[in-house]
Amino acid sequence: MTLELFDPRGVVEAEARALARRPAALAGLRLGVLDNTKWNANRLLRGATAKLRATHGFAAVTYYRKESFSKIAAPELVDEIAAANDVVLTAIGD
Amino acid sequence: MSATGAVRADAVADGTDLVEAYFERGWTDGLPVVPPTRARIDIMVEALGGDPAFLECKVPPRWGSLTREVLAINLVMAGCRPDYAPVVRAALLALTQTAFNLNGVQATTHMAAPLVIVNGPIAQRIGMNAGHNCFGSGNRANATIGRAIRLVLLNVGGGTPGDLDKATLGHPGKYSYCIAENESASPFAPYHVDKGFAAEDSTVFAIAAEPPHSVTNHVANDARGVLDSIVSAMSTIAHNNAVSSGHCAVVLGIEHARTIAGSGWKRADIRHYLWDRARNRFGDLAFEHRYGRIHNRNLPAWYGRDLESRVPVVPSPDNIHLFVAGGEAGRFSAFIPGWGHMSNPVLRGIDGAAPVSGPVCVDGACQL
Repeated sequence: MTLELFDPRGVVEAEARALARRPAALAGLRLGVLDNTKWNANRLLRGATAKLRATHGFAAVTYYRKESFSKIAAPELVDEIAAANDVVLTAIGD
Repeated sequence: MSATGAVRADAVADGTDLVEAYFERGWTDGLPVVPPTRARIDIMVEALGGDPAFLECKVPPRWGSLTREVLAINLVMAGCRPDYAPVVRAALLALTQTAFNLNGVQATTHMAAPLVIVNGPIAQRIGMNAGHNCFGSGNRANATIGRAIRLVLLNVGGGTPGDLDKATLGHPGKYSYCIAENESASPFAPYHVDKGFAAEDSTVFAIAAEPPHSVTNHVANDARGVLDSIVSAMSTIAHNNAVSSGHCAVVLGIEHARTIAGSGWKRADIRHYLWDRARNRFGDLAFEHRYGRIHNRNLPAWYGRDLESRVPVVPSPDNIHLFVAGGEAGRFSAFIPGWGHMSNPVLRGIDGAAPVSGPVCVDGACQL
């Protein structure tokens, strides 16, 4: 005689996806900066961008903003960032 | 034949302490759960309409699949009666509407918990407490409906404290946070009727919320006097609405509601008065800029940013969700701050009830 334990968690149906390959060097690449609109994200990202720019010399730096720090970026924004940039910098700044 | 069977069930030896076994696996809110049996799960699946593999929704941030069988297991674990099942289902369908942003609510460092308020005849039919101590303990329906929601958020949604739930403090409503509006004692139309549902329909309202803040007023004998105390509770820079805008709830106690109604005021008058009077000075929100210049992008663009600007607590009277609840005695009400603009409250019909008029509603759920 046995008893049963029922798993209350439900199944997760997710597809594993590999991370993008890392670039070997940043010089000459197009940098996208994604601000998530948290209180101090702007400050943190602009400071980090200035230091990176001085060290690596990007071909271009473009600044983007999410509508809400708590929600995913709009798909059109993600597409736009992916098309116009080689690397992306993002951060939260509470 | 059993209606269930899709969910994995581990066989354990007869005599095993099942309550401890659920604790050991982390499948609990920290309190002992009612160990589900096949028979109890089957009864609960039937209460949900049968078809145990039917997918009701996916629950973030883990995005586990909430089938009727999985929901039934959690309902049994919470201690629900089968006739509570439609309320819990409607609440979870409301919480998983995109507008609610449950992913953010679950994961935030803020203490917000989903507050569910039930309207319509089902509340009385299943014995919910809308009266004395309604936010407190002592009523099976309130306690276990709220608990079942939380167990699903934990088990299926993965909102484990410190893991995917990053709440700095949390609050006691994360065990259970569910009441009914006291429609029979209220001098006003029920909330769901105000939003376009028929009085004989039943609904759940869900908002990501801080705990209730008590508002005492044993002095005023008119609407303005009572409401000025609620205005005072709303007008602080500490709650999340002050810095993140969004929606909030106000729960009028019965005595306060009757005093206000005695002045001839209706729901809309109350909401507009609270919105008009509840204000913060922008200079206070910005700490007079002594820590650097503050603009606050999370407040609406149209708010004044001069130090002396008096900015609203929420952007519109419609963002104040007004309910009447509590016992017959006591001159108390409650202000319940929300999480902020990141989450939109949702009102949803139970068992397919749809509004007859009112806001734009899709699939039985209204974005408020």
